[in-house]
Amino acid sequence: MCGIVGCVGRPDETLDVLMHGLSKLEYRGYDSAGVALANGTVEIEKREGELENLETALEDIDLGGSVGIGHTRWSTHGPPSDRNSHPHADCEGRVAVIHNGIIENFQTVKDELVAAGHEFDSDTDTEVIPHLIESALADGASPENAFRAAMERIEGSYAIAAVFAGGDAVYCAREDSPLVLGVDDGATYLASDVPAFREFTDRVIYLDDGEVARIDAEGWSVTTLAGESVDKSVHTVEWDAEETGKSGYDHFMLKEIHEQPRALRQCLRGRVDELGGTVELEELDEPPRPTAVQFVACGTSYHAALYGAQLFQDAGIPAQAFLASEYVTSPPPAGEALVVGVTQSGETADTLSALREAKGRGARTLALTNVVGSTVSRECDHVIYIRAGPEIGVAASKTFASQLAALNLFALATANGGDRDGLGALRDLPSEVQAVIDDSTAADIAVEYLDAEGYFFIGRGLNYPVALEGALKLKEITYRHAEGFAAGELKHGPLALVTENTPVIAIATGDGELARKTVGNVKEVEARNAPVIAVTDGQSDIERYADHVLPIPETHPRTAAVLANVQLQLFAYHTAAQLGRSIDKPRNLAKSVTVE
Amino acid sequence: MSLRTAVVLAAGEGNRLRPLTHNRPKPMLPAANRPVLEYVFDALIDAGIEEIVVVIGYKRDRVQEHFGPTYRDVQLQYVTQEKQLGSGHALLEARSVVDEPFLVVNGDRVIESGLVTDVIGEFEAHPDAAATLGVLEHRDARQYGAVALHEGRIEEIIEKPDTDDYRLINAGVYAFRTSIFAAIEATERRDGELRLTDTLARLIDSGEGVRGVRIDGLSPHATYPWDLLTVTREILARGRVDEPAREQGIWVDDTSLVHDDATLQAPVVVGPDCEVGPGAVVGPDVALGRNVTVEANATVTRSVLDTDTRIGPGSTILDCVTGQDVTLGAANTIPGGPADVRIDTQIYEEQALGAVVADRVHAGGAVTLAPGTLVGPGARLYTGTRASGRIEADAEVLG
Repeated sequence: MCGIVGCVGRPDETLDVLMHGLSKLEYRGYDSAGVALANGTVEIEKREGELENLETALEDIDLGGSVGIGHTRWSTHGPPSDRNSHPHADCEGRVAVIHNGIIENFQTVKDELVAAGHEFDSDTDTEVIPHLIESALADGASPENAFRAAMERIEGSYAIAAVFAGGDAVYCAREDSPLVLGVDDGATYLASDVPAFREFTDRVIYLDDGEVARIDAEGWSVTTLAGESVDKSVHTVEWDAEETGKSGYDHFMLKEIHEQPRALRQCLRGRVDELGGTVELEELDEPPRPTAVQFVACGTSYHAALYGAQLFQDAGIPAQAFLASEYVTSPPPAGEALVVGVTQSGETADTLSALREAKGRGARTLALTNVVGSTVSRECDHVIYIRAGPEIGVAASKTFASQLAALNLFALATANGGDRDGLGALRDLPSEVQAVIDDSTAADIAVEYLDAEGYFFIGRGLNYPVALEGALKLKEITYRHAEGFAAGELKHGPLALVTENTPVIAIATGDGELARKTVGNVKEVEARNAPVIAVTDGQSDIERYADHVLPIPETHPRTAAVLANVQLQLFAYHTAAQLGRSIDKPRNLAKSVTVE
Repeated sequence: MSLRTAVVLAAGEGNRLRPLTHNRPKPMLPAANRPVLEYVFDALIDAGIEEIVVVIGYKRDRVQEHFGPTYRDVQLQYVTQEKQLGSGHALLEARSVVDEPFLVVNGDRVIESGLVTDVIGEFEAHPDAAATLGVLEHRDARQYGAVALHEGRIEEIIEKPDTDDYRLINAGVYAFRTSIFAAIEATERRDGELRLTDTLARLIDSGEGVRGVRIDGLSPHATYPWDLLTVTREILARGRVDEPAREQGIWVDDTSLVHDDATLQAPVVVGPDCEVGPGAVVGPDVALGRNVTVEANATVTRSVLDTDTRIGPGSTILDCVTGQDVTLGAANTIPGGPADVRIDTQIYEEQALGAVVADRVHAGGAVTLAPGTLVGPGARLYTGTRASGRIEADAEVLG
């Protein structure tokens, strides 16, 4: 996935504004970056590698112009290189284009263009767009009509922006990839995500699929692909620009781990009446008691979905969690089920496809997301916001905790109302997370296992998704091999991998049957001399078999899973920090994946 | 020349406020229902300060996490004092980020913006002075850093003088030029600490101009845990509260739920996400922090209940300070002061203190705390316990 920005109306600062925006979007992709500025001509500068490579290159060059676009890239077509970086230009260098997404029919289009004499510089799908525009211009079209003609010709998913030599506007269009406009007096912006221009304005317009926008210094207009005018409402974003700063922490991820108590408070705020025994989700007019629930999600959100499915099952409502990509491939019968998409960004392509698939077959859909105005929030019948605030670290941390809290609210509001214990546990959660953060010894334990051959995470019940998430976090930011298993599955195969060099991180909370069985599994691995790190609330006797203990406060089983996860986040973070990894931007990963 | 930058000293623990400072520094303790440091920042920003440098140290994460990179759109720049070796040492940490005249205030004392404005005004009227400090009248100057002021010049500064000759004390609000850093470096350490007041004394002795301006508008200093109750009373009396007023002296956040059959007695402030159950009586002089629960038929009077405190049904709580995440079960009794309280080696007699209950204490049902009890963080008091005196951190107490 990539990040795009654009700016018109800041004559002497265009380049600075673009570079600022790109730095805010770097989390979306970072194997190359580039900018194009239009005045009488179009000037392009682009570099492979992190944004600083481009910054260094720009120090020696004077790029002027009051109309500009910029791009950070995460490769999908063609290896990272200067040549494959965006922006791309036409043969004459009169049009520059940036693109986030995939053009599915690019080979056909490219063959036609090459046959017509166009010369291509790169391996990318994107480059067909400036050439398509060029040929429309050659046929006498205006820039706007040439842009439209190109959009009509391509198929796939995209957020695209283009500038023209001698032009005073940026043209952009959206299909299945995020694109927002920022509106200020005398200047207009565009970007994949609001933080890119939040410092300059808090007024935004979310474009919808199939819309084309023209922005210039005086303002904006939005039309359909066919050219009909569209009324768009201007939203005001509530968080301020500096919420996306690192405020003294070494990494965004550590900051976001520490922010969890606050994020959880925001999630719960005004929604829980413990003494009255009710939950109010204002986004849900009349919370339906679903007869069945199907969750669809990817990555960390899938782990949250597994947790959510268990909450509904516990309330006697059939519920399943599906990987969104698999759901699309072989859709299960939805019947009367409510289909719930869990996606932090609200733009995850696989999850959107799964929801569209379900909706196409008549199912009601609900989105659980962090981003107001995101695609998923607009496409689903219902939406619940997790209110975690912006998350910059590529590896999700606080948004997972907030997803779990919001899933509890959702379950309490629709399936098991009146559960005062559950409501009380939610209200106690922020301070308990704070207690775990304050007292965690994960950093000291992490140091002892930097040379491990692999890491295994086990848990049962609600702690099973936590084990999966713990392993995923470790993989993402340490590049070490890690796997999560349902504790009961260990002896059905994975135990063969367990040695004295593979620490096993076991999550056991409460003193019930689940905990006792997990302790039994721990004895199995201990017999193979594997070091055991127990995450426990001290109610079972797991400590007796553990080499290290990461304690959590004694609490409700539902919230215990959230607390255990905080210990695993810290374990992964400190392991990665000791190994000197690029924690906020792990290799090969992007924050939200907007391609399937 | 106007002052745009302020340095806020917020690195200290506040030993005498233990056990409340187990998990956070003194500036993050509550005055009414907000951290002291918020009032300090408010006063600076209201006085026109545009950039704030915060010197943090002890439990610095708590400050950074609470405020993040800005407060009320003013940029906060954090510098770290790894070891707390005195106020002068703390200020030196800010040297690399300050390059013009600046204000210095302590982060652990509630101040009014007028006081800041007065010190800025004095500095601007006498820009050549090496230092300008706010001073205030105090009937018992012997307990503090006393000063002698003559025609706007500070002629003497002395810590805890043993005579009754002094009527003015150093308010801890200063304006300095950047030359102060060199003066601090040239100051000798005392007991291993580099103190700002020693630097000022040195400047005065060497005939450098040190100006003083009389100010008022300083809240009582929170040195001991019971002072938090006094400071809170003062703040409520002045109405320095953010929550919307329901009626005179009763402030309730919109997200809080107060049962129709509960009674709020002015002055009282109820922070965000709180719940107050039926039959409960809260106030007067009570501040409920965020997400506090007062269950049915409980009574809370003259108390500060910090974030996530939970008071069980039928409990009676007077003159009490709770830390964060404290749970008191059903029918607890904290009957209130006066009490003789021991802090370190000293006994403070007749203090209006019911109890100090530190972070994450968990009490079962029918627990009674005698006046002046200090309960350490994480302690568990089992049902029926009657406790008094000092209870250690993480202690388990039965009977």
